[in-house]
Amino acid sequence: MLDFARVTDAWPQLLEGAVTTVQLTAAAAVLSLVVGLLSAMLQLSRVPGGYWISRVYVSAMRGTPILVQLFVVFFGLPLIGIRDQNFLAATLAIGLNSGAFVTEIIRASVAAVPHGEVEAAESIGMGKRHVWQRVVLPRALVTSLPALTNEFTILLKATPLASVVAVTELTYAGQLVISRTFEPVEILLTIAATYIVIALTLSQLSRWLERRYAVLWAGS
Amino acid sequence: MDWGLMLENTPLLLLGLRWTIVVSSAGMALALALAVGLVAMGRTSNRLVRGIARVHTEIILGTPNLVLLFIVFFILPEVGLVIEPFTAGLITLGLYYSPYLAEVIRGAMNAVPRGQIEAGEAIGLSGPRILTRIVGPQAIGMALPPATGLFIGLIKDSAILSVISVAEMTFQAKQVIARTYAPFEVYVLVAVGYWVLTFLLELGLRRLEGRVTRYRSL
Repeated sequence: MLDFARVTDAWPQLLEGAVTTVQLTAAAAVLSLVVGLLSAMLQLSRVPGGYWISRVYVSAMRGTPILVQLFVVFFGLPLIGIRDQNFLAATLAIGLNSGAFVTEIIRASVAAVPHGEVEAAESIGMGKRHVWQRVVLPRALVTSLPALTNEFTILLKATPLASVVAVTELTYAGQLVISRTFEPVEILLTIAATYIVIALTLSQLSRWLERRYAVLWAGS
Repeated sequence: MDWGLMLENTPLLLLGLRWTIVVSSAGMALALALAVGLVAMGRTSNRLVRGIARVHTEIILGTPNLVLLFIVFFILPEVGLVIEPFTAGLITLGLYYSPYLAEVIRGAMNAVPRGQIEAGEAIGLSGPRILTRIVGPQAIGMALPPATGLFIGLIKDSAILSVISVAEMTFQAKQVIARTYAPFEVYVLVAVGYWVLTFLLELGLRRLEGRVTRYRSL
């Protein structure tokens, strides 16, 4: 039968892994948001070729498995002289992959900003940059919050892939414990439960953000 | 970079591609069957049945597919079900995608105007008939685009089956790399393979969508 005493023994190691998972998720999410924003703006701007650069990036990221992308980055980094940076490789691969989905989310949210608001901003004399900074982007980011939360939950669930390039996140920590104890059941169930807890925390955090900023918008 | 070497190893990768297609298709079929079950369970009046469907959905949505794969592959044998990697892989893919697909099906069915169902009832059609003649044909057209997206996601996720040595494309890539020591080139080639596969699939399913939604242009 299930004996969770084994989990208690391994808890410090698993906890360390969980912390790494959260760090990896956070780092990749920040990268994803930055890349997604840039890529979406590139697509909407009049930079020559910008539209196609962004489209090809999105298509390539969405058309290939994230595991293969991780391997390409992991084995590609040494070719440009960066060695033994497993965490960096995982962050880059997962962040760049998610960035493609964030591009689409931001693009849709920008399109959903009422045109009248942009015109209103222009008519009171705001320059193009100001309109983006003060009206379009803040508005689009709030609209995209639920979709972004969804995307970052998916991102969280992609982090176990980092275990294949030996980043000691939660899943890899669990595998190390299993290879010592030969008791996969309890450890794997605990790991799954931990991910669910992290995912639920993430969605609560976003719900709180949403409420906070929705109020801000209603009040302004 | 030695692309001649890559060309030499392409047949092995193509063999892997074939298994990628096989395991993904089987996984998608299982996901579809489970999703239909989940939708049906969600529509019953029995609270327990609905609860089971809800719990299944919540657990899958919060669990990474790699962890789910390990659970299927390592835990099922513990309870006496010894399965091959291929079977474990397709069960994982099917399980993982079932709630997402169920959501798509539910959404598509709900998008059929209520008045049409009432009209069907008014002219005396039975429940199953309303499903096959009114809701079904329209729901398929609406469910196809998001289901295509899920199918593409499933194909890409089949790459993780390489971890439990299912002989799909990513696994074959690892075999080739073990011989050639050229990981970067091989993985770029494999990425292109997946890209082409998903692109063709999208193209094909878009044509299918055009066929099943012909009624819209009547």
